[in-house]
Amino acid sequence: MTSIMQSETQPQLTDASTALGVAIINSKAPFSSNAGKDALDVALLFGSFEQKVSLFFQGDGVYQLIANQDGSLLAIKDYLKTFSAFEFYDIEDVYVCQQSLIERQLSKTFHIDNVQVLTNKAFAVALSKHKHVLRF
Amino acid sequence: MSTLHLVRQSAFSRNDFEQCISVLAEQDSLVLMDDGCYNLKHPLMASLLKKDNNKVSIKVISTHAQARAVEVMAGISQITMADVVELTFNHNKVITWQ
Repeated sequence: MTSIMQSETQPQLTDASTALGVAIINSKAPFSSNAGKDALDVALLFGSFEQKVSLFFQGDGVYQLIANQDGSLLAIKDYLKTFSAFEFYDIEDVYVCQQSLIERQLSKTFHIDNVQVLTNKAFAVALSKHKHVLRF
Repeated sequence: MSTLHLVRQSAFSRNDFEQCISVLAEQDSLVLMDDGCYNLKHPLMASLLKKDNNKVSIKVISTHAQARAVEVMAGISQITMADVVELTFNHNKVITWQ
């Protein structure tokens, strides 16, 4: 309650990227654990309560965004398809660590639009603008 | 004594694959499954292919690689889980790296 009061008294921030919302860091590959699905559920939950959410993909987490994946081959419900619903939950800030992509020899072809590839430094800066961070 | 190595984790976040490579013998087979498929793009794989002149047989579960949109390069054989069962009989022992 206190934190809400505080944020109301602060000056209005015009740039959406400087808002003090929740950052969710995805650090795990999509299919061998529940981490990615859990992170998605939390992101959509915050989104449906109109809380500002930014998504960060780092390390093996970048695999969650790569195009042409097909979880149905593994008899897994493919939660990655739900990523395309981000715009309906007003989740607009999706950041990917460029270094993680390069290390894994991945191209910048993602299965959703509006993904921002950031250098290590820019990634850190974007993350530091958030008040709360959850890592999966 | 031949060993079948089942690699199930990404070398980008765990060092299982590095440990596996350190104990690989010439007559062994290496199977990449689950997140182990990502290791096809890892520098350790490139150096393994260079070093051993492909004496170690390297295989990947095709559906696991395909689900992850991992491109399988020539020289790596694509197999099914049924083939893994057969491989377990063709080797003296199995080590699962996970």
